[in-house]
Amino acid sequence: MLGVAIAAVALGVPFWVDGYWRTTFAFVVIAAIGALGLDVLTGWTGQISLGHAFFLAVGAYVGGYLGAHQGLSAALWIPAAGAAAGVLGAVAGPAALRLRGLYLAIVTIGLVYIGYYVLQTWTGFSGGPGGESLPPVTFGSWNFARGVTVAGHVFTRDQCYYYLALLLLVLAMLYVRNVTRSTLGRSMVAVRDRELAAAVLGVHVARTKMRAFVISSVLAGVAGALYGSFLSFAVPGDWGLVLSIEYVVMIVVGGMASLWGPVLGALFVVGLPALLQNVSTTLTFLSNTTSGNGLSPADAAEIVYGVLLVLFLLIEPGGIVGIGRRIGRQLAGRFARAGGGAGGS
Amino acid sequence: MTEEPVLELRSVRVVYGGVLAVDDISLAVEPGHAVCLLGPNGAGKTTILRAVSGLLGFHGGRVVAGNVRYRGRDVTGAAADRLVRLGICQVLERRHVFADLTVADNLRAGAFARRDRRAVAGSQDMVLDLFPVLRERLRQQAGLLSGGEQQMVAIGRALMGGPELLLLDEPSLGLAPLVVADIAEALREVRTRTGLSVLLVEQSSAMAGAVTERSYLLESGRIRAGGQTADLLADDQVRSVYLGASA
Repeated sequence: MLGVAIAAVALGVPFWVDGYWRTTFAFVVIAAIGALGLDVLTGWTGQISLGHAFFLAVGAYVGGYLGAHQGLSAALWIPAAGAAAGVLGAVAGPAALRLRGLYLAIVTIGLVYIGYYVLQTWTGFSGGPGGESLPPVTFGSWNFARGVTVAGHVFTRDQCYYYLALLLLVLAMLYVRNVTRSTLGRSMVAVRDRELAAAVLGVHVARTKMRAFVISSVLAGVAGALYGSFLSFAVPGDWGLVLSIEYVVMIVVGGMASLWGPVLGALFVVGLPALLQNVSTTLTFLSNTTSGNGLSPADAAEIVYGVLLVLFLLIEPGGIVGIGRRIGRQLAGRFARAGGGAGGS
Repeated sequence: MTEEPVLELRSVRVVYGGVLAVDDISLAVEPGHAVCLLGPNGAGKTTILRAVSGLLGFHGGRVVAGNVRYRGRDVTGAAADRLVRLGICQVLERRHVFADLTVADNLRAGAFARRDRRAVAGSQDMVLDLFPVLRERLRQQAGLLSGGEQQMVAIGRALMGGPELLLLDEPSLGLAPLVVADIAEALREVRTRTGLSVLLVEQSSAMAGAVTERSYLLESGRIRAGGQTADLLADDQVRSVYLGASA
Protein backbone atom coordinates (compact mmCIF):
# COMPACT_ATOMS: atom_id res chain seq x y z
CA MET A 1 0.00 0.00 0.00
CA LEU A 2 2.88 2.30 0.83
CA GLY A 3 4.38 1.39 -2.54
CA VAL A 4 1.19 2.39 -4.38
CA ALA A 5 1.11 5.70 -2.51
CA ILE A 6 4.74 6.43 -3.35
CA ALA A 7 4.15 5.54 -7.01
CA ALA A 8 1.07 7.77 -7.15
CA VAL A 9 2.92 10.72 -5.64
CA ALA A 10 5.98 10.18 -7.84
CA LEU A 11 3.83 10.08 -10.98
CA GLY A 12 1.47 12.88 -10.01
CA VAL A 13 3.83 15.43 -8.56
CA PRO A 14 4.77 17.22 -11.82
CA PHE A 15 1.07 18.06 -12.33
CA TRP A 16 0.50 19.49 -8.88
CA VAL A 17 3.39 21.94 -8.65
CA ASP A 18 4.61 24.99 -10.51
CA GLY A 19 7.59 25.27 -12.83
CA TYR A 20 10.08 26.04 -10.05
CA TRP A 21 9.25 22.83 -8.25
CA ARG A 22 8.95 20.75 -11.43
CA THR A 23 12.53 21.74 -12.25
CA THR A 24 13.64 20.99 -8.71
CA PHE A 25 12.04 17.55 -8.68
CA ALA A 26 13.59 16.68 -12.03
CA PHE A 27 17.00 17.52 -10.53
CA VAL A 28 16.13 15.43 -7.46
CA VAL A 29 15.32 12.33 -9.50
CA ILE A 30 18.39 12.75 -11.71
CA ALA A 31 20.59 13.13 -8.63
CA ALA A 32 18.97 10.05 -7.06
CA ILE A 33 20.25 7.91 -9.97
CA GLY A 34 23.80 9.11 -9.35
CA ALA A 35 23.47 8.74 -5.59
CA LEU A 36 22.22 5.19 -6.01
CA GLY A 37 25.43 4.47 -7.91
CA LEU A 38 27.64 6.00 -5.25
CA ASP A 39 25.80 4.00 -2.59
CA VAL A 40 26.75 0.74 -4.36
CA LEU A 41 30.39 1.73 -4.01
CA THR A 42 30.41 3.48 -0.63
CA GLY A 43 27.34 2.19 1.20
CA TRP A 44 27.43 -1.43 0.14
CA THR A 45 31.11 -1.99 -0.58
CA GLY A 46 32.58 0.48 1.90
CA GLN A 47 34.86 2.28 -0.57
CA ILE A 48 34.84 6.02 0.03
CA SER A 49 34.96 7.92 -3.24
CA LEU A 50 35.11 11.65 -3.79
CA GLY A 51 35.46 11.13 -7.53
CA HIS A 52 31.80 10.81 -8.39
CA ALA A 53 31.73 14.24 -10.10
CA PHE A 54 34.33 12.96 -12.55
CA PHE A 55 32.05 10.17 -13.74
CA LEU A 56 29.04 12.50 -13.85
CA ALA A 57 31.08 14.80 -16.09
CA VAL A 58 32.14 11.93 -18.33
CA GLY A 59 28.49 11.01 -18.79
CA ALA A 60 27.45 14.58 -19.47
CA TYR A 61 30.11 15.39 -22.07
CA VAL A 62 30.13 12.00 -23.81
CA GLY A 63 26.35 12.17 -24.01
CA GLY A 64 26.51 15.75 -25.21
CA TYR A 65 29.14 14.99 -27.82
CA LEU A 66 27.23 12.03 -29.24
CA GLY A 67 23.92 13.88 -29.12
CA ALA A 68 25.01 17.21 -30.57
CA HIS A 69 27.98 16.41 -32.81
CA GLN A 70 27.00 12.93 -33.94
CA GLY A 71 23.27 13.66 -33.91
CA LEU A 72 22.41 10.40 -32.15
CA SER A 73 19.09 9.75 -30.45
CA ALA A 74 18.99 9.87 -26.65
CA ALA A 75 18.10 6.18 -26.78
CA LEU A 76 21.72 5.71 -27.82
CA TRP A 77 23.65 8.48 -26.16
CA ILE A 78 22.29 7.98 -22.65
CA PRO A 79 23.39 4.31 -22.55
CA ALA A 80 26.64 5.29 -24.28
CA ALA A 81 27.30 7.90 -21.59
CA GLY A 82 26.83 5.23 -18.93
CA ALA A 83 29.08 2.82 -20.81
CA ALA A 84 31.83 5.41 -21.28
CA ALA A 85 31.78 6.25 -17.56
CA GLY A 86 31.81 2.52 -16.77
CA VAL A 87 34.86 1.97 -18.98
CA LEU A 88 36.70 4.84 -17.30
CA GLY A 89 35.63 3.41 -13.95
CA ALA A 90 37.21 0.11 -14.97
CA VAL A 91 40.37 1.96 -16.01
CA ALA A 92 40.59 3.97 -12.79
CA GLY A 93 39.52 1.00 -10.67
CA PRO A 94 42.80 -0.92 -10.44
CA ALA A 95 44.59 2.12 -9.02
CA ALA A 96 41.83 2.57 -6.48
CA LEU A 97 41.84 -1.11 -5.50
CA ARG A 98 45.24 -0.80 -3.92
CA LEU A 99 44.01 1.82 -1.48
CA ARG A 100 41.60 1.91 1.41
CA GLY A 101 39.68 4.46 3.42
CA LEU A 102 40.96 8.01 3.37
CA TYR A 103 43.73 7.17 0.91
CA LEU A 104 41.15 6.05 -1.61
CA ALA A 105 39.13 9.22 -0.96
CA ILE A 106 42.20 11.36 -1.68
CA VAL A 107 43.09 9.53 -4.87
CA THR A 108 39.53 9.84 -6.15
CA ILE A 109 39.75 13.59 -5.54
CA GLY A 110 42.64 13.43 -7.99
CA LEU A 111 40.22 12.14 -10.60
CA VAL A 112 38.09 15.23 -10.20
CA TYR A 113 41.08 17.50 -10.82
CA ILE A 114 42.26 15.47 -13.79
CA GLY A 115 38.76 15.76 -15.21
CA TYR A 116 38.72 19.50 -14.60
CA TYR A 117 42.05 19.92 -16.36
CA VAL A 118 40.91 17.88 -19.35
CA LEU A 119 37.67 19.85 -19.62
CA GLN A 120 39.56 23.15 -19.41
CA THR A 121 42.03 22.24 -22.14
CA TRP A 122 40.20 19.90 -24.51
CA THR A 123 38.10 22.69 -25.98
CA GLY A 124 36.91 20.67 -28.98
CA PHE A 125 35.14 18.31 -26.60
CA SER A 126 34.05 20.42 -23.66
CA GLY A 127 34.07 23.97 -24.99
CA GLY A 128 36.92 24.79 -22.63
CA PRO A 129 36.60 27.36 -19.85
CA GLY A 130 33.84 29.16 -21.76
CA GLY A 131 31.56 26.19 -21.41
CA GLU A 132 29.57 24.11 -23.84
CA SER A 133 25.94 23.72 -24.79
CA LEU A 134 24.66 20.25 -24.12
CA PRO A 135 21.90 18.89 -26.36
CA PRO A 136 18.34 18.19 -25.25
CA VAL A 137 17.04 14.65 -25.03
CA THR A 138 15.42 13.61 -28.30
CA PHE A 139 13.64 10.43 -29.25
CA GLY A 140 12.71 10.50 -32.93
CA SER A 141 10.35 13.43 -33.36
CA TRP A 142 10.17 14.04 -29.61
CA ASN A 143 12.37 16.86 -28.52
CA PHE A 144 12.34 17.47 -24.77
CA ALA A 145 13.48 21.07 -25.23
CA ARG A 146 10.21 21.93 -27.00
CA GLY A 147 8.00 19.76 -24.82
CA VAL A 148 6.29 16.61 -25.99
CA THR A 149 2.66 16.13 -27.01
CA VAL A 150 1.20 12.73 -26.21
CA ALA A 151 -2.45 12.04 -27.03
CA GLY A 152 -3.23 15.75 -27.14
CA HIS A 153 -1.57 16.52 -23.80
CA VAL A 154 1.50 18.74 -23.83
CA PHE A 155 4.23 17.67 -21.41
CA THR A 156 6.54 20.56 -20.51
CA ARG A 157 10.31 20.27 -20.75
CA ASP A 158 10.77 19.70 -17.02
CA GLN A 159 7.99 17.11 -16.96
CA CYS A 160 9.66 15.22 -19.81
CA TYR A 161 12.99 15.13 -18.02
CA TYR A 162 11.29 14.22 -14.76
CA TYR A 163 9.49 11.20 -16.19
CA LEU A 164 12.48 9.95 -18.16
CA ALA A 165 14.68 10.24 -15.06
CA LEU A 166 11.99 8.54 -12.98
CA LEU A 167 11.86 5.63 -15.41
CA LEU A 168 15.64 5.27 -15.34
CA LEU A 169 15.68 5.60 -11.55
CA VAL A 170 13.15 2.78 -11.16
CA LEU A 171 15.18 0.57 -13.49
CA ALA A 172 18.37 1.43 -11.60
CA MET A 173 16.72 0.67 -8.25
CA LEU A 174 15.48 -2.71 -9.49
CA TYR A 175 18.97 -3.47 -10.77
CA VAL A 176 20.67 -2.42 -7.54
CA ARG A 177 18.14 -4.37 -5.50
CA ASN A 178 18.93 -7.51 -7.48
CA VAL A 179 22.66 -6.95 -7.26
CA THR A 180 22.63 -6.45 -3.51
CA ARG A 181 20.62 -9.65 -3.02
CA SER A 182 22.98 -11.67 -5.19
CA THR A 183 26.31 -13.32 -4.44
CA LEU A 184 27.98 -10.13 -5.60
CA GLY A 185 25.96 -8.12 -3.08
CA ARG A 186 26.94 -10.42 -0.22
CA SER A 187 30.56 -10.21 -1.35
CA MET A 188 30.34 -6.41 -1.29
CA VAL A 189 28.96 -6.39 2.25
CA ALA A 190 31.62 -8.86 3.39
CA VAL A 191 34.37 -6.71 1.87
CA ARG A 192 32.91 -3.64 3.57
CA ASP A 193 32.52 -5.21 7.02
CA ARG A 194 35.61 -7.42 7.21
CA GLU A 195 37.86 -7.33 4.20
CA LEU A 196 40.32 -9.94 5.47
CA ALA A 197 37.58 -12.27 6.64
CA ALA A 198 35.93 -11.92 3.24
CA ALA A 199 39.17 -12.98 1.57
CA VAL A 200 39.62 -16.07 3.75
CA LEU A 201 36.02 -17.07 3.05
CA GLY A 202 36.71 -17.16 -0.66
CA VAL A 203 35.50 -13.73 -1.77
CA HIS A 204 37.58 -12.29 -4.60
CA VAL A 205 38.11 -8.90 -2.93
CA ALA A 206 39.66 -7.08 -5.88
CA ARG A 207 37.04 -8.29 -8.35
CA THR A 208 34.24 -7.34 -5.96
CA LYS A 209 35.54 -3.80 -5.53
CA MET A 210 36.09 -3.52 -9.25
CA ARG A 211 32.50 -4.49 -10.05
CA ALA A 212 31.17 -2.05 -7.47
CA PHE A 213 33.34 0.65 -9.01
CA VAL A 214 32.02 -0.05 -12.51
CA ILE A 215 28.35 -0.22 -11.45
CA SER A 216 28.80 3.05 -9.57
CA SER A 217 30.45 4.74 -12.57
CA VAL A 218 27.80 3.57 -15.04
CA LEU A 219 24.98 5.01 -12.93
CA ALA A 220 26.97 8.22 -12.48
CA GLY A 221 27.42 8.42 -16.25
CA VAL A 222 23.70 8.05 -16.90
CA ALA A 223 22.85 10.59 -14.22
CA GLY A 224 25.51 12.95 -15.57
CA ALA A 225 24.15 12.70 -19.12
CA LEU A 226 20.65 13.63 -17.93
CA TYR A 227 21.97 16.33 -15.60
CA GLY A 228 24.05 17.97 -18.32
CA SER A 229 21.25 17.80 -20.84
CA PHE A 230 18.77 19.26 -18.36
CA LEU A 231 21.20 22.07 -17.48
CA SER A 232 21.65 22.52 -21.28
CA PHE A 233 24.91 24.36 -20.71
CA ALA A 234 27.89 23.48 -18.53
CA VAL A 235 31.31 24.87 -17.68
CA PRO A 236 34.19 22.76 -16.30
CA GLY A 237 33.68 24.24 -12.84
CA ASP A 238 30.25 22.61 -12.61
CA TRP A 239 31.94 19.22 -12.13
CA GLY A 240 34.16 20.06 -9.19
CA LEU A 241 34.79 18.57 -5.80
CA VAL A 242 31.69 20.23 -4.34
CA LEU A 243 29.50 18.12 -6.62
CA SER A 244 31.25 14.96 -5.41
CA ILE A 245 30.75 15.98 -1.81
CA GLU A 246 27.06 16.68 -2.43
CA TYR A 247 26.65 13.08 -3.56
CA VAL A 248 28.45 11.79 -0.48
CA VAL A 249 26.11 13.92 1.64
CA MET A 250 23.12 12.47 -0.20
CA ILE A 251 23.95 8.87 0.66
CA VAL A 252 24.97 9.70 4.24
CA VAL A 253 21.87 11.77 4.94
CA GLY A 254 19.58 9.33 3.18
CA GLY A 255 21.04 6.28 4.86
CA MET A 256 23.77 4.13 3.37
CA ALA A 257 23.34 0.62 2.00
CA SER A 258 19.60 0.95 1.55
CA LEU A 259 17.56 1.19 -1.62
CA TRP A 260 15.62 4.29 -0.59
CA GLY A 261 18.43 6.08 1.21
CA PRO A 262 19.98 7.65 -1.91
CA VAL A 263 16.55 8.76 -3.15
CA LEU A 264 15.62 10.39 0.15
CA GLY A 265 19.12 11.87 0.37
CA ALA A 266 18.75 13.41 -3.08
CA LEU A 267 15.43 14.87 -2.00
CA PHE A 268 17.12 16.40 1.06
CA VAL A 269 20.26 17.72 -0.64
CA VAL A 270 18.60 19.04 -3.79
CA GLY A 271 15.10 19.74 -2.53
CA LEU A 272 15.74 21.37 0.83
CA PRO A 273 17.96 24.22 -0.44
CA ALA A 274 15.34 24.88 -3.12
CA LEU A 275 12.68 25.04 -0.43
CA LEU A 276 14.79 27.32 1.76
CA GLN A 277 15.56 29.62 -1.18
CA ASN A 278 11.87 29.81 -1.80
CA VAL A 279 10.84 30.69 1.73
CA SER A 280 13.85 32.80 2.74
CA THR A 281 12.66 35.72 0.61
CA THR A 282 9.59 35.88 2.81
CA LEU A 283 11.52 35.74 6.07
CA THR A 284 12.39 39.38 6.56
CA PHE A 285 14.19 38.80 9.86
CA LEU A 286 16.68 36.65 7.99
CA SER A 287 17.08 38.70 4.88
CA ASN A 288 17.21 42.42 4.65
CA THR A 289 18.92 43.16 1.42
CA THR A 290 17.37 46.54 0.80
CA SER A 291 19.15 48.19 3.72
CA GLY A 292 22.27 46.13 3.05
CA ASN A 293 22.81 44.98 6.63
CA GLY A 294 21.08 41.61 6.50
CA LEU A 295 21.77 38.29 4.90
CA SER A 296 20.82 37.76 1.30
CA PRO A 297 18.08 35.15 0.87
CA ALA A 298 20.58 32.81 -0.76
CA ASP A 299 23.05 33.10 2.13
CA ALA A 300 20.32 32.67 4.71
CA ALA A 301 19.12 29.54 2.94
CA GLU A 302 22.62 28.09 2.85
CA ILE A 303 23.19 28.74 6.54
CA VAL A 304 19.89 27.15 7.53
CA TYR A 305 20.67 24.21 5.26
CA GLY A 306 24.10 23.75 6.86
CA VAL A 307 22.69 23.89 10.38
CA LEU A 308 19.97 21.38 9.52
CA LEU A 309 22.56 19.07 8.00
CA VAL A 310 24.72 19.13 11.14
CA LEU A 311 21.74 18.65 13.45
CA PHE A 312 20.46 15.85 11.31
CA LEU A 313 23.67 13.85 11.41
CA LEU A 314 24.07 14.44 15.15
CA ILE A 315 20.59 13.20 15.88
CA GLU A 316 20.28 10.35 13.40
CA PRO A 317 23.55 8.94 12.01
CA GLY A 318 21.53 6.23 10.23
CA GLY A 319 20.05 8.82 7.92
CA ILE A 320 16.44 9.31 6.90
CA VAL A 321 16.11 5.57 6.38
CA GLY A 322 17.33 5.14 9.97
CA ILE A 323 14.50 7.34 11.24
CA GLY A 324 12.03 5.28 9.22
CA ARG A 325 13.37 2.04 10.68
CA ARG A 326 13.20 3.43 14.19
CA ILE A 327 9.56 4.41 13.73
CA GLY A 328 8.86 1.02 12.16
CA ARG A 329 10.39 -0.82 15.11
CA GLN A 330 8.40 1.21 17.61
CA LEU A 331 5.15 0.61 15.74
CA ALA A 332 5.96 -3.09 15.48
CA GLY A 333 6.74 -3.18 19.21
CA ARG A 334 3.46 -1.45 20.03
CA PHE A 335 1.47 -3.84 17.84
CA ALA A 336 3.29 -6.82 19.34
CA ARG A 337 2.51 -5.62 22.88
CA ALA A 338 -1.11 -4.92 21.99
CA GLY A 339 -1.43 -8.34 20.31
CA GLY A 340 0.30 -10.11 23.21
CA GLY A 341 -1.92 -8.35 25.76
CA ALA A 342 -5.07 -9.34 23.90
CA GLY A 343 -3.93 -12.94 23.68
CA GLY A 344 -2.99 -13.11 27.34
CA SER A 345 -6.21 -11.72 28.80
CA MET B 1 54.85 -45.92 2.47
CA THR B 2 55.47 -42.24 2.36
CA GLU B 3 52.46 -40.07 1.70
CA GLU B 4 52.74 -36.70 0.06
CA PRO B 5 52.41 -33.87 2.59
CA VAL B 6 49.22 -31.77 2.43
CA LEU B 7 51.30 -28.67 2.86
CA GLU B 8 54.95 -28.18 2.20
CA LEU B 9 57.02 -25.01 2.38
CA ARG B 10 60.41 -25.12 0.73
CA SER B 11 62.95 -22.46 1.67
CA VAL B 12 60.31 -19.75 1.75
CA ARG B 13 61.38 -16.14 2.15
CA VAL B 14 58.79 -13.40 2.69
CA VAL B 15 59.41 -9.68 2.37
CA TYR B 16 57.11 -6.82 3.37
CA GLY B 17 58.03 -3.86 1.18
CA GLY B 18 61.77 -4.48 1.43
CA VAL B 19 61.78 -5.72 5.02
CA LEU B 20 62.64 -9.38 5.46
CA ALA B 21 60.02 -11.12 7.62
CA VAL B 22 60.85 -14.83 7.40
CA ASP B 23 63.65 -16.60 5.60
CA ASP B 24 64.49 -20.14 4.59
CA ILE B 25 61.34 -21.62 6.07
CA SER B 26 60.91 -25.28 5.24
CA LEU B 27 58.19 -27.30 6.89
CA ALA B 28 55.61 -29.93 6.11
CA VAL B 29 52.17 -30.95 7.33
CA GLU B 30 51.31 -34.59 6.67
CA PRO B 31 47.72 -35.60 5.83
CA GLY B 32 45.59 -35.71 8.96
CA HIS B 33 48.35 -34.31 11.12
CA ALA B 34 48.43 -31.15 13.16
CA VAL B 35 51.46 -28.93 13.36
CA CYS B 36 52.08 -25.94 15.59
CA LEU B 37 54.26 -22.91 15.00
CA LEU B 38 55.58 -21.72 18.34
CA GLY B 39 57.58 -18.62 19.06
CA PRO B 40 57.58 -15.13 20.50
CA ASN B 41 55.84 -12.09 19.02
CA GLY B 42 57.34 -10.97 15.73
CA ALA B 43 58.95 -14.32 15.02
CA GLY B 44 57.06 -14.62 11.73
CA LYS B 45 54.39 -17.17 12.65
CA THR B 46 51.48 -15.19 11.23
CA THR B 47 53.53 -14.34 8.14
CA ILE B 48 53.90 -18.03 7.39
CA LEU B 49 50.13 -18.53 7.70
CA ARG B 50 49.55 -15.60 5.34
CA ALA B 51 51.98 -17.08 2.84
CA VAL B 52 49.91 -20.28 2.88
CA SER B 53 46.46 -18.67 2.73
CA GLY B 54 47.26 -16.01 0.14
CA LEU B 55 46.73 -13.02 2.44
CA LEU B 56 50.25 -11.59 2.14
CA GLY B 57 49.13 -9.16 -0.55
CA PHE B 58 46.65 -7.53 1.84
CA HIS B 59 49.56 -6.66 4.12
CA GLY B 60 51.99 -5.56 1.43
CA GLY B 61 54.01 -8.77 1.61
CA ARG B 62 55.27 -11.22 -1.01
CA VAL B 63 56.98 -14.59 -1.22
CA VAL B 64 60.25 -13.70 -2.94
CA ALA B 65 62.01 -17.06 -2.76
CA GLY B 66 61.11 -20.70 -2.30
CA ASN B 67 57.67 -22.12 -2.85
CA VAL B 68 54.50 -23.22 -1.12
CA ARG B 69 53.08 -26.56 -2.21
CA TYR B 70 49.58 -27.75 -1.38
CA ARG B 71 48.75 -31.40 -2.16
CA GLY B 72 51.70 -31.52 -4.51
CA ARG B 73 50.69 -28.39 -6.38
CA ASP B 74 52.69 -25.17 -6.38
CA VAL B 75 50.37 -22.49 -4.97
CA THR B 76 52.98 -19.82 -4.23
CA GLY B 77 51.37 -16.41 -4.58
CA ALA B 78 47.91 -17.80 -5.45
CA ALA B 79 44.92 -15.59 -4.59
CA ALA B 80 43.17 -16.19 -1.28
CA ASP B 81 39.78 -16.87 -2.85
CA ARG B 82 41.24 -19.60 -5.06
CA LEU B 83 43.00 -21.25 -2.14
CA VAL B 84 39.71 -21.37 -0.23
CA ARG B 85 38.21 -23.29 -3.14
CA LEU B 86 41.15 -25.68 -3.02
CA GLY B 87 40.39 -26.40 0.64
CA ILE B 88 42.58 -24.05 2.68
CA CYS B 89 40.55 -22.16 5.28
CA GLN B 90 42.00 -19.76 7.81
CA VAL B 91 40.79 -18.60 11.20
CA LEU B 92 42.13 -15.07 11.51
CA GLU B 93 43.84 -13.72 14.59
CA ARG B 94 41.37 -11.65 16.64
CA ARG B 95 38.54 -13.60 15.03
CA HIS B 96 37.17 -10.99 12.58
CA VAL B 97 33.57 -12.11 12.90
CA PHE B 98 30.90 -10.09 11.09
CA ALA B 99 29.71 -8.25 14.19
CA ASP B 100 26.39 -7.08 12.73
CA LEU B 101 25.40 -10.47 11.35
CA THR B 102 23.83 -13.27 13.35
CA VAL B 103 25.79 -16.35 14.30
CA ALA B 104 23.84 -18.33 11.69
CA ASP B 105 24.71 -15.81 8.96
CA ASN B 106 28.36 -15.79 9.98
CA LEU B 107 28.45 -19.56 9.61
CA ARG B 108 26.62 -19.35 6.29
CA ALA B 109 29.19 -16.82 5.09
CA GLY B 110 31.86 -19.45 5.73
CA ALA B 111 30.30 -21.62 3.03
CA PHE B 112 30.45 -18.75 0.53
CA ALA B 113 32.63 -20.65 -1.93
CA ARG B 114 30.67 -23.94 -1.74
CA ARG B 115 27.79 -24.95 -3.97
CA ASP B 116 26.84 -28.36 -2.52
CA ARG B 117 23.99 -27.49 -0.15
CA ARG B 118 23.80 -30.90 1.51
CA ALA B 119 27.50 -30.88 2.29
CA VAL B 120 27.12 -27.36 3.69
CA ALA B 121 24.21 -28.46 5.89
CA GLY B 122 26.38 -31.35 7.09
CA SER B 123 29.18 -28.96 7.97
CA GLN B 124 26.77 -26.77 9.93
CA ASP B 125 25.47 -29.77 11.90
CA MET B 126 29.04 -30.71 12.73
CA VAL B 127 29.92 -27.18 13.85
CA LEU B 128 26.88 -27.02 16.12
CA ASP B 129 27.76 -30.44 17.55
CA LEU B 130 31.28 -29.25 18.27
CA PHE B 131 30.12 -25.97 19.80
CA PRO B 132 26.68 -26.64 21.32
CA VAL B 133 26.57 -23.14 22.79
CA LEU B 134 26.35 -21.72 19.26
CA ARG B 135 23.13 -23.62 18.66
CA GLU B 136 21.48 -21.51 21.38
CA ARG B 137 22.98 -18.34 19.97
CA LEU B 138 22.18 -18.84 16.26
CA ARG B 139 19.84 -15.81 16.05
CA GLN B 140 22.06 -13.48 18.08
CA GLN B 141 24.34 -10.83 16.65
CA ALA B 142 27.87 -12.20 16.63
CA GLY B 143 29.28 -8.91 17.91
CA LEU B 144 27.39 -9.34 21.18
CA LEU B 145 28.89 -12.73 22.04
CA SER B 146 31.70 -13.31 24.53
CA GLY B 147 35.26 -13.59 23.25
CA GLY B 148 35.22 -17.37 23.54
CA GLU B 149 31.94 -17.67 21.69
CA GLN B 150 33.20 -15.35 18.95
CA GLN B 151 36.25 -17.57 18.59
CA MET B 152 33.92 -20.55 18.22
CA VAL B 153 32.02 -18.64 15.52
CA ALA B 154 35.30 -17.86 13.75
CA ILE B 155 36.42 -21.50 13.86
CA GLY B 156 32.96 -22.70 12.89
CA ARG B 157 32.92 -20.27 9.97
CA ALA B 158 36.23 -21.64 8.71
CA LEU B 159 34.95 -25.22 9.06
CA MET B 160 31.89 -24.28 7.00
CA GLY B 161 34.27 -23.86 4.07
CA GLY B 162 34.89 -27.62 4.18
CA PRO B 163 38.66 -27.33 4.61
CA GLU B 164 41.23 -30.03 4.11
CA LEU B 165 43.80 -27.80 5.70
CA LEU B 166 42.73 -25.59 8.58
CA LEU B 167 44.95 -22.65 9.52
CA LEU B 168 44.44 -21.18 12.98
CA ASP B 169 46.06 -17.96 14.15
CA GLU B 170 46.24 -17.75 17.95
CA PRO B 171 42.77 -19.07 18.74
CA SER B 172 43.55 -18.85 22.48
CA LEU B 173 44.24 -15.10 22.36
CA GLY B 174 42.52 -13.30 25.21
CA LEU B 175 40.50 -16.29 26.34
CA ALA B 176 40.14 -17.84 29.80
CA PRO B 177 41.96 -21.16 30.37
CA LEU B 178 38.70 -23.09 30.64
CA VAL B 179 37.50 -21.73 27.30
CA VAL B 180 40.88 -22.55 25.74
CA ALA B 181 40.45 -26.13 26.93
CA ASP B 182 36.96 -26.31 25.41
CA ILE B 183 38.20 -25.04 22.07
CA ALA B 184 41.18 -27.38 22.11
CA GLU B 185 38.81 -30.28 22.78
CA ALA B 186 36.62 -29.22 19.86
CA LEU B 187 39.64 -29.02 17.56
CA ARG B 188 40.73 -32.53 18.56
CA GLU B 189 37.21 -33.74 17.92
CA VAL B 190 37.03 -32.16 14.47
CA ARG B 191 40.33 -33.79 13.53
CA THR B 192 39.08 -37.26 14.37
CA ARG B 193 35.76 -36.64 12.63
CA THR B 194 36.99 -35.16 9.37
CA GLY B 195 40.65 -36.15 9.20
CA LEU B 196 41.60 -32.61 8.20
CA SER B 197 45.11 -31.28 8.66
CA VAL B 198 45.90 -28.37 10.91
CA LEU B 199 48.53 -25.67 10.98
CA LEU B 200 48.26 -23.80 14.27
CA VAL B 201 49.99 -20.63 15.41
CA GLU B 202 50.03 -20.38 19.18
CA GLN B 203 51.70 -18.85 22.16
CA SER B 204 49.61 -20.91 24.57
CA SER B 205 51.37 -24.15 25.37
CA ALA B 206 48.07 -25.59 26.59
CA MET B 207 46.46 -25.22 23.17
CA ALA B 208 49.59 -26.32 21.31
CA GLY B 209 50.02 -29.41 23.45
CA ALA B 210 46.38 -30.42 23.33
CA VAL B 211 45.86 -30.06 19.59
CA THR B 212 49.12 -30.81 17.78
CA GLU B 213 51.73 -33.58 17.62
CA ARG B 214 54.56 -31.76 15.91
CA SER B 215 55.83 -28.23 16.39
CA TYR B 216 58.33 -25.87 14.91
CA LEU B 217 59.95 -23.22 17.00
CA LEU B 218 60.44 -19.87 15.28
CA GLU B 219 62.58 -16.96 16.27
CA SER B 220 63.43 -13.84 14.27
CA GLY B 221 62.00 -15.21 11.07
CA ARG B 222 63.79 -18.54 11.11
CA ILE B 223 63.02 -22.05 12.31
CA ARG B 224 65.20 -22.76 15.34
CA ALA B 225 63.95 -26.21 16.27
CA GLY B 226 61.40 -28.81 15.31
CA GLY B 227 60.08 -31.97 16.88
CA GLN B 228 57.34 -33.53 18.92
CA THR B 229 55.19 -30.83 20.50
CA ALA B 230 55.40 -32.53 23.89
CA ASP B 231 59.20 -32.64 23.75
CA LEU B 232 59.51 -29.02 22.72
CA LEU B 233 57.13 -27.88 25.42
CA ALA B 234 59.00 -29.93 28.01
CA ASP B 235 62.31 -28.30 27.14
CA ASP B 236 63.14 -25.84 29.90
CA GLN B 237 64.99 -23.46 27.64
CA VAL B 238 62.12 -23.35 25.16
CA ARG B 239 59.68 -22.72 27.98
CA SER B 240 61.58 -19.87 29.51
CA VAL B 241 62.76 -18.15 26.34
CA TYR B 242 59.89 -18.58 23.92
CA LEU B 243 56.75 -19.18 25.85
CA GLY B 244 57.29 -16.90 28.83
CA ALA B 245 54.89 -16.90 31.72
CA SER B 246 52.10 -18.67 29.86
CA ALA B 247 54.08 -21.90 29.97
